[in-house]
Amino acid sequence: MSADSSTSSPKTEGQAPNEDDQQHGTYECNICLETANDPVVSMCGHLFCWPCLHQWLETRPNRQTCPVCKAGISKDKVIPIYGRGNPNPQDPREKLPPRPAGQRSEPESSNPFHNFGLGGDGNFQFSFGIGAFPFGIFASTLNFNDGRPGQPPPNSPQQAEEQFLSKVFLWVAIIFIFWLLIA
Amino acid sequence: MAQKRIKKELLDLGKDPPTNCSAGPVGDDLFQWQATILGPTDSPYAQGVFFLTINFPTDYPFKPPKVAFTTRIYHPNINSNGSICLDILRSQWSPALTISKVLLSICSLLTDPNPDDPLVPEIARIYKTDRDKYYKVAREWTQKYAQ
Repeated sequence: MSADSSTSSPKTEGQAPNEDDQQHGTYECNICLETANDPVVSMCGHLFCWPCLHQWLETRPNRQTCPVCKAGISKDKVIPIYGRGNPNPQDPREKLPPRPAGQRSEPESSNPFHNFGLGGDGNFQFSFGIGAFPFGIFASTLNFNDGRPGQPPPNSPQQAEEQFLSKVFLWVAIIFIFWLLIA
Repeated sequence: MAQKRIKKELLDLGKDPPTNCSAGPVGDDLFQWQATILGPTDSPYAQGVFFLTINFPTDYPFKPPKVAFTTRIYHPNINSNGSICLDILRSQWSPALTISKVLLSICSLLTDPNPDDPLVPEIARIYKTDRDKYYKVAREWTQKYAQ
């Protein structure tokens, strides 16, 4: 029995070309009908060699359609496929015509603060500002009075202006809080 | 590229031949083929054997093959020279099409002529106005030229 199992293992290795044959149908370029070379895939899911597709796009620059389903197609709308295990890795960009580069988009973040300050979520910024308004002002005023470093030099017009502004805002904030308490 | 693809198509035709059609190179030139279509049973071309020539351009499959009937046929979209009016052989060609698919399309054109885009207006007119006469003449031509 053990002899049988030892002879069967080289057999399975010998089946590798067969598996290769089965894969041919799935990964054939829709233009040259060979296993795709420098493969790219269209948005509609059809596989091509980049050199084949490039030549087709050049043939009809005015009306670029997918050869399989006639969907719109263009150089910017195909995705290159980078597989693993190429025995002779070669940068496809060194070949002519160059294959379009992959596009990497940032993952979408569930944290809304991620976009804060980038202007990505205007509505959120607005409501956040109103909600924190009196407390934010109050805190920054108190901090100012602590005299932390990084402030304008004393007796400069800028400092006077800031002091004036902070006092105004302090009073506005105090009045606002009083109004909130009374109401 | 063209030669490799034509060889591949020839191989595929051998493996999985389309029904009622056959095709292959004439002599040593891979770019010159001859094809036969058996007239579809639900058409006046039934029991006819129609010969066609196929010329592959050097930039095949980016340009369509030139396909023409050598057997005379009475059809609104095929003229006396054997030229075929079929969109996929002109503007609607796609490199994903193969000779097998083209021959199948021609078969369906035989079953369902397109009289609104005719190559022979007179046959199209008869097809539209007097279907019985079209059937009769088409059957006569099939018997005369394709059997």
